[in-house]
Amino acid sequence: MRVPVGLRILLLIVGATSFYTLVGQLVPQKEVQPPKETELKKEMTADELTKAGKDIMEGKGLCTTCHTFGKSGALRFPDLAGIGARAATRRPGHSDVQYLAESIYDPNVFIVPGFNPGMPVINKPPIGLSDQEILAVIAYLQSQGGKVTVTLQSKVWPLEAVAADAQAKD
Amino acid sequence: MTPRLNAKIAVTSLIVVAIAFAATVGLVRWVLSREYRAPERSDQAQVTPRTQALADEAAAKAKADREKPYQEETYRKFPMVGSRVAVWVLAQLHLLFAAFVLAVPLFALIIEFIGWLNRDERYDELAHEFTKLLSVSFSLTATFGAFLLFMLVLLYPKFMNYLMHVFSPTFAPYVGLFFFEAFFLYTYYYGWGKFSQVTHLLLGLGLNVVGTAIMLIANSWLTFMTTPAGVSESGAVISTWAAVHNYTWMPINIHRIIANVAFGGSVAAAYAAFKFLNAKTDEERAHYDWMGYIGNFVAICAFLPLPFAGYWLASEIYAYSQTLGLTMMGGAFSWLFIIQAVLIGNLFLGANYYLWLGMGRVQASERFQGYIKFLLILIALCFAVWATPRSIIATVSETRAMGGGAHPQLGYFGVMSAKNTAVNLLILTTYVSFLLYRRSGRTPTVSWAKLGNALQFAIAFLAGATVLFLGIYGYFVEAKVRIGLSVPQVSSVLFAMIAITAIDVLMYRNAKSLGEVNWGRIHPVSQYVLIFLAVTFTWLMGLMGYVRSGLRQHWHVYGVMRDTSVDAFTPTLGFATRVVSVTVLLFFLLIGFVFWLASLSDHKPGHAKEHA
Repeated sequence: MRVPVGLRILLLIVGATSFYTLVGQLVPQKEVQPPKETELKKEMTADELTKAGKDIMEGKGLCTTCHTFGKSGALRFPDLAGIGARAATRRPGHSDVQYLAESIYDPNVFIVPGFNPGMPVINKPPIGLSDQEILAVIAYLQSQGGKVTVTLQSKVWPLEAVAADAQAKD
Repeated sequence: MTPRLNAKIAVTSLIVVAIAFAATVGLVRWVLSREYRAPERSDQAQVTPRTQALADEAAAKAKADREKPYQEETYRKFPMVGSRVAVWVLAQLHLLFAAFVLAVPLFALIIEFIGWLNRDERYDELAHEFTKLLSVSFSLTATFGAFLLFMLVLLYPKFMNYLMHVFSPTFAPYVGLFFFEAFFLYTYYYGWGKFSQVTHLLLGLGLNVVGTAIMLIANSWLTFMTTPAGVSESGAVISTWAAVHNYTWMPINIHRIIANVAFGGSVAAAYAAFKFLNAKTDEERAHYDWMGYIGNFVAICAFLPLPFAGYWLASEIYAYSQTLGLTMMGGAFSWLFIIQAVLIGNLFLGANYYLWLGMGRVQASERFQGYIKFLLILIALCFAVWATPRSIIATVSETRAMGGGAHPQLGYFGVMSAKNTAVNLLILTTYVSFLLYRRSGRTPTVSWAKLGNALQFAIAFLAGATVLFLGIYGYFVEAKVRIGLSVPQVSSVLFAMIAITAIDVLMYRNAKSLGEVNWGRIHPVSQYVLIFLAVTFTWLMGLMGYVRSGLRQHWHVYGVMRDTSVDAFTPTLGFATRVVSVTVLLFFLLIGFVFWLASLSDHKPGHAKEHA
């Protein structure tokens, strides 16, 4: 039986479309929800704050879209494993907290050698982390090889204002 | 029972029912009239607690209605499929028809111009036949455009209000240009043969200029949504021009013009294939074979530089926001590019296969057919590399055995160095296929033919070697250097194509013919290949349209206006591909209607010649 040309064309169109739909079903299926807010209580232990910071980094902060933990080789952005230990040595005159705060609030001031600028300002949209959320992120970064010293009551930015505050207290 | 008795029973039943109904009504009224009334209020007419409560309720409702404040809706819901899918399908259909309506005049004008230059009426006839598909498509584009606009205003009023706030100065020119487009389109089509050729060509030029301008305005709206500029942090307009001329505006303009031509050429070739397969005479078959060849030639010529335009667009997205770039290539959408690789691989395979089949219609083309197997092997290898993902879907034990998500060997093919190398070699291979087809049935007569051949081979080889070397080199350098390597890769392929074409044109001037091109004498499978290519192009446009738009994720305007609707999440790729498929099927249903309508005004090929 000879299949009419019109039917053959129809079968070809439906067949090709179905094939591409099938390819679409074979790749990993992930529904990406808008970032959820992480609950930050006034009184949090260092462990709770670190845990919250990790959640923020993997969620709303989108940090792990670019940064890795424990990867080596030709990376596009600095790996963050051990950053808690390294942070205090990156910028002369900057403590670990100051370096981390600057990297988040004003990321293009210092670019890690070998990498291109590209980090967005994290406290502005589209990411738009609050100061409290950034403190939690700093706590988590400090926990990567260092000691967690920040709390939700810490003031870390702007650096000049924090330094002036510290001087006034002294 | 007799019929008479039956009638009596029926009438009696009706009377009994009527009496019963009247009795029930009377009984209810009597009960209501005996409703309890408080003794102290018994003198106040018929007011009972119940009637008072009813009156109070009505008064309260009337008061609430009068005092109801005006509230602007943020979203409205579309039944069944939801607002996002409804707008998605409509936008995609509008876009596909718009792309077709913009592309066909572009190459119809070029074909008409070639015909005018060479005084060859066949080209004029061909250009006219291409434009035959335009008028109905234009109406469908406008219909879907209006439908889309209404749906956007209806379903996303707050967002549309914001877009109007930013882009209101662009609306009047847009509508004005639309009138001009209608004017040029209809005078171009209906004025065929009625004006002098130069006037007609100028009308075609006007149509293209106006059509492109319309696209540029619309592109500014959609690119602003992904890479907004010219507005304050809170979204207030600082400069409308800056909002129009945002990061991705020009890359999208260029990418769309090229992609529209590729898509339009492929759909026009599919029309020719449809006509070829239904042709009754050899003359018709010859005509539509030629038309299909030209349509496909246009599509492939536009398709080859398309990855380069795509690369520019992607680099601008990265330049605007690394987060956005990484979401596209390394985040939620990374697997989409594997689907894209399958589509583009099929386009390359299909395009090459059509050219190889096309050699069959050229006498003395056998001398080149031995090369086809090598080209096929190269295409298959590049296709495989391009479609290899970086990480593989695996069980926990498989992942442990591999030492991570990436396969120890195949994982190397999943990175950009390998992908860039594969796509550049695919382009080069397709170009070589075209070159072989072009040479079929001809032999150069110039004295320097041997040198020319050697030079062409050396350029192609060096370009291929450069691409391969830079691809491998990319594995050993840091990201900063590696990203920049794609530029010399692309440049070497572009240089090779331009240089080899220039040599070929000079070398084959006054070439000796070894045999005729027998238009129409091609295996019918070739025509199904053309239709397959059109479906693949359409599907690819749908998929890439999705990633361009979906990239914003939970933002209507990235970083400025957040999507707070129920559709703010990014759906799975499986869902997205189903929507794309539905759109593609709808498009082909409608374009089939366009083809059918165009066929109604059919005349035999050569008709124009007879009446010229």
